Amino acid sequence: MSEIRYPDSTNPVFTDGRDIDTGIGALVGEGSLQRVEPVDKRFKQDADVWRDLPHSNPSDATYYGRPMLKAPVWAAYVPTYYFLGGAAGASLALGAAVQLDRSEATSGLVRKAHWVGIVASSIGAGFLILDLGRPLRFLNMMRVFRPTSPMNMGAWILAGTPPAAIAAGLFARSSMFRMIGEVCGYVSGFLGLALCTYTGVLVGNTAIPVWQEGRRVLPILFGASAASTAGGMLGMFNDLNARERRIVRAFTAVGAAAEVACSKWMDHATSRVEQVGLPLRRGLSGALWNGAGFLSLAALAVTITPGRSRTKRIIGGSLAALGSFALRFAVHYAGEASARDPKASFHLQRTRR
Amino acid sequence: MATKGFFTDTTICIGCKACEVACKQWNQLPDDGFAFTAMSYDNTVELGASTWRHVAFIERPVALSNQSAGAFSWLFSSDVCKHCARAGCLESCPTGSIIRTEYGSVYVQPDVCNGCGYCVVNCPFGVIDRRGDDGRAWKCTLCYDRLREDMTPACAKHCPTASIQFGDLDELRERAKARVEKLHEAGMKEAYLYGASAEDQQGTEGLNAFFLLVDKPEVYNLPPDPVVPTKKGKDAWKSMAAAAAGVALAAVGSVLFGRAGVRS
Repeated sequence: MSEIRYPDSTNPVFTDGRDIDTGIGALVGEGSLQRVEPVDKRFKQDADVWRDLPHSNPSDATYYGRPMLKAPVWAAYVPTYYFLGGAAGASLALGAAVQLDRSEATSGLVRKAHWVGIVASSIGAGFLILDLGRPLRFLNMMRVFRPTSPMNMGAWILAGTPPAAIAAGLFARSSMFRMIGEVCGYVSGFLGLALCTYTGVLVGNTAIPVWQEGRRVLPILFGASAASTAGGMLGMFNDLNARERRIVRAFTAVGAAAEVACSKWMDHATSRVEQVGLPLRRGLSGALWNGAGFLSLAALAVTITPGRSRTKRIIGGSLAALGSFALRFAVHYAGEASARDPKASFHLQRTRR
Repeated sequence: MATKGFFTDTTICIGCKACEVACKQWNQLPDDGFAFTAMSYDNTVELGASTWRHVAFIERPVALSNQSAGAFSWLFSSDVCKHCARAGCLESCPTGSIIRTEYGSVYVQPDVCNGCGYCVVNCPFGVIDRRGDDGRAWKCTLCYDRLREDMTPACAKHCPTASIQFGDLDELRERAKARVEKLHEAGMKEAYLYGASAEDQQGTEGLNAFFLLVDKPEVYNLPPDPVVPTKKGKDAWKSMAAAAAGVALAAVGSVLFGRAGVRS
């Protein structure tokens, strides 16, 4: 047991928060398995001290303004994963489409798409595992196949993507296993389509008001933003031929344009109930959301501007990637803010009736 | 095995917090730190990973309809996991850690949970939470260990006014209906049942732990119309199909665009 000094006490106290004398009572209760760290670290934030007596508003009641929902416990790993998984998925999808063309001229782009897909999806999977409360138990995700849980579906998609992409990359140039490589290329492309869009379902299929109201938009928004990132990243390589440059430029432009359009759609979908859309207009999440909108618009402008210099492609690609990154964090923080606002849930549910 | 549950009659709760203490003691849950909220007598604030019963203290400038003491009333309500008939946490759990027991309750298996945190955002009541230092999600177990020994859950056993009643769900529903009628006869017209049946609350298809309230659910920090997220999730899956098709089309289109550039 650790030594804990309560903030207002003079003497240190030895406690695990239970204070059970194990000489008298055995620790066998259902909560006795909870691992406990020193109490000071987990002190709740005190409420602001009241200056005036509280006036409850009977027509718009809350419980002292306290959150009704629990905020997501996810750290920054998770929105970073949305970004990386999106980039990997869309990149693999583009790689499979290029592979369908069966042209020697574009085989370099296929390899680069596999490369981006492998790196981004593997790092992304690592981040997801790090975010678990018990990272060593990540394989428990594979205990069940549960279509009602987007997290479970995502785990299966994510488990399949890097192996398929690695096999595609490895066997693409071997003469003996070329067929296997090609099949794996298409499989990774198919899984990539799911990987870059399912995260929208993951956040849309929750009780958090702003995510729930955006559930029809989010998968499309994330898919569009993934396409612009993947195109932008692939465009930054320096040894692309003219045909490959045209492909990634078109992919980036279509993705960025769809991203701009879907952001507007998201604004519209979440403004049906005023309180629900607030996090996308205010605070950190609002700033990120507006920043993401600006960045993807800038990425679109740079991408469609004529010119074939690599500098232009690097600027356009960076803007697209930054925009997508800001977008995922905006959605993440908007969810946190929305969970903390009890009125968002209450107003939404009252309107539904 | 008949479905077991709680009927919490908030009109006879006296705010003694015996349920909170009994729950902590029996389940050997650690404390949450000793914080002073300054907002009311409620320093527990909310249900959480180590707090499976929470008594809400509501001070209202409104009189109850059978009350003559002036424009004030004090409401208490002991909140708990609702063990929903359609449980958001259970349906969203990617590991199968959260299960439906033989008593109809929703139980988190701590030896399976890997702490992904998805149940936390899928509970429309904000009940289940992940404990940072432990890493896993925890909530009320309906005292599964006590039920196995034919005992009443600790909170209900310790409630001195029978505000918390435990039993077979069908019987509890009958008792609750009779209680509401009695209250209406006594002049407390605002009494009603919250989540007592699937018709009452379609979004969750009924709660195994339901409540008798005398004001809007919001006042007790309960959602007025909770819906298990999976019921709306279909919209998101449909959009995902459209999104995947869109990305595929964009990819193929870009390749064709690239090919056209070579020819021209």
